[in-house]
Amino acid sequence: MYQALLTRKYLTSKIMPLLAMVAVMLSVATVLITWSVMGGFLRALLDSGRVLVGDVTITWPAIGFAHYDELVADLEDDEMFVAATPVIEYFAQIQLPDGRPTEVYLKGVVPDGFDRVTAYMDHVWWRALDEPTARDEEGADIRLLDGNEAVFAEALDNARSMSRALGDGEAHRPAAILGIEVTGYNRRNAVGVYDYLIPYRTLPDGTEEPVPVFMPLNGEIILTVLPPAKGGGIVAEPVTRSIPVANEFQSGIYEADKNTVLVPFDWLQNILNLGEARRTRPGASMFETAFDPVTGEQIPAAAAGAQVSPARATSVIALARDGATPDQIRQRTREIYAEFAARHPGEIPSPSAIQIATWEDLNRTLVAAVKKETGLVLFIFGIVCFTTVFLVLAIFWAMINEKTRDIGILRALGASTTGVATIWLSYGAALGLVGAILGVAASILIVHNINEIHAWLGSAFGLVIWDPRVYYFVEIPSDIVPINALVVLLAGIATCIIGAAIPAFRSARMDPVESLRFE
Amino acid sequence: MTTAAAQPELRTTPPAHAPLIRVERLRKTYKLGRVKVPVLHGVSLDVASDETVAILGASGSGKSTLLHLVGGLDRPDRQVKNYRRCARCGYDMAGLEAPRVCPECACPAPALNERASIVFDGRNVTSLSARQLNRFRARDVGFVFQFYHLLPELTVLQNVTVGAMIRHGLGYASSAADARARAGELLDAFGLGHRLRHRPAQLSGGERQRVAIARALINKPRLLLADEPTGNLDAETGAQILDALADLREKFGLTMLMVTHDPAVAERADRVVRLHDGVIQGA
Repeated sequence: MYQALLTRKYLTSKIMPLLAMVAVMLSVATVLITWSVMGGFLRALLDSGRVLVGDVTITWPAIGFAHYDELVADLEDDEMFVAATPVIEYFAQIQLPDGRPTEVYLKGVVPDGFDRVTAYMDHVWWRALDEPTARDEEGADIRLLDGNEAVFAEALDNARSMSRALGDGEAHRPAAILGIEVTGYNRRNAVGVYDYLIPYRTLPDGTEEPVPVFMPLNGEIILTVLPPAKGGGIVAEPVTRSIPVANEFQSGIYEADKNTVLVPFDWLQNILNLGEARRTRPGASMFETAFDPVTGEQIPAAAAGAQVSPARATSVIALARDGATPDQIRQRTREIYAEFAARHPGEIPSPSAIQIATWEDLNRTLVAAVKKETGLVLFIFGIVCFTTVFLVLAIFWAMINEKTRDIGILRALGASTTGVATIWLSYGAALGLVGAILGVAASILIVHNINEIHAWLGSAFGLVIWDPRVYYFVEIPSDIVPINALVVLLAGIATCIIGAAIPAFRSARMDPVESLRFE
Repeated sequence: MTTAAAQPELRTTPPAHAPLIRVERLRKTYKLGRVKVPVLHGVSLDVASDETVAILGASGSGKSTLLHLVGGLDRPDRQVKNYRRCARCGYDMAGLEAPRVCPECACPAPALNERASIVFDGRNVTSLSARQLNRFRARDVGFVFQFYHLLPELTVLQNVTVGAMIRHGLGYASSAADARARAGELLDAFGLGHRLRHRPAQLSGGERQRVAIARALINKPRLLLADEPTGNLDAETGAQILDALADLREKFGLTMLMVTHDPAVAERADRVVRLHDGVIQGA
């Protein structure tokens, strides 16, 4: 009881220990803000990583697997999954309107299904905007310009249908949606929106001429693929097609935006020869004939082994319900695929061979790097903040020197060594608690207003830490996780208690008679 | 007040009835670096219940050390080598520092190890554990110091009740009202009822000492140990404090051991014990 009384009195009457409290507050705030920003960055990265892959991907590369519609239905019937859709993934080379070739990663998608799984329509860039984006205070975004509404509205519709008409009154053709960085015609500016650059084509005589193209309006690319052989491997005959561009997307992952081109599923399935086909068993003579049982005419004999080869997709991606962990998703997908494979023995890859990866697996390199960086930054800040322990130690040491006689008085009144030590430990804990609570409160305040503070720092001092030209998110992502805040709060309290422990131990070992004589 | 002419008559007669405190062969040596400084050389003393004994001695004579030992704030030297009379010639070797042979007949001197003891109401204080000593100080002993030793951050009332908090620990929550009431009564009795919320810095020296006495009495101890209780006060205030202590003794039946270098203060006691260089004179 006397410990609580003295702790309260010291808390309200001593200035020096308040410095320790401020140190704890700053340490807690520093660590929590860092954790929140890095955590927010990681979360934003993960969310972006899911845009193109959903929560789980079942893949059999290149040649694909059959009966994917059945697998999609199986997944959608399961409680863990909300939606599923087939995807064809393949490599291709494209030629841009200015003649430059570039290699891309093709994704053949069914627009509706793909949007249900990945919400990719939210990431389609060219659309009419009613108000500027977060940092675009001057309204420099060309999507805001008057008169462009109809163009952008049409571009958005085209993205939704993955098609575009090449001229007024003409029928829509299948169209591609490019990653916003694929062409190099879009340059990200300081407020995080894209300026459109007119491309130039280099002529044989070395001069350049402008190419009057705006990709979602009249852009077209020439796409070349090497379709897979039926039995695997690559066919030597390349297939080249021209395809208009419907729109462009920004997923938030630079690599994806730089290399990915979305095309309609059926269109890609067709040029890769992955559609449904009749197969003939080898061995039947091409000159063998038979009589038609209805007309009586002589016709080429049907091959004895003729069969239908079902259409194939290289992947099926699915969206899981909220709250499902990557491990749970992976496990359930394996179970569903095993049941699916059991129904089609010999027709599709076995459960042990099929590749099943969650979005976290697919982004493992990127996620691991950010996680490592977060851990490293927290470790460094943790070390820096650990100096608070020594600050608390020094302050408590000085305070116990000052209070030596009081310690002797308490011992004379019957206080135990433990009781005396408890005064300083509880005082340390109280300082730590108050400091840590203030630190957490300050963190919440700063994190919630971090973009405003950043903007103010930029305008007042020209200090731009988060440059949208460098980072892929317009605003500083931040996210205070309650459990993280609790961990940091407890660490702040522990810091003070650790700092107070050695002086407290010393106070307990003080000789009461010497303490009473202390001057 | 401290004139050498006013030498009181030494009343060293031991109490007739069983003593509340019996101190035997008490020795204490302090270490100052590598140097051992003996302070008490085998002090023995009996103090009867309800008796007030003044320990009179010059500065450095070991008075305060004796008080701290009796109050359980410090421990005596663990073993005391006591050299008795020579077995051959009967020479009294008590008080000699570790003689190897009898100074009279040169025969080997027998050394007997005897432990010092402080017996309080039948309990040997020197053999109590640290925990038991804490309890002894909290329940049975009240200390009054020359420099009051109040806790500056606490109010007068809190300074008095802090002793009860220490004694009762977590149980103080249930006895807080009683403790506050008793503190109020004690402070009222000392004329400080209107100063309960004041800090020690706002009080005069005499008032502070009265607060210190009230604190010493909050747990109703049987023994009050006062170390120069008037040493920091002017003569008039000192006399008031002594009057207050005398009243308390009457009222509560306190046994009091008072250390002073002032013969006039010592004269107020039932008995005076003179301590000189760590040895009781005339005992």
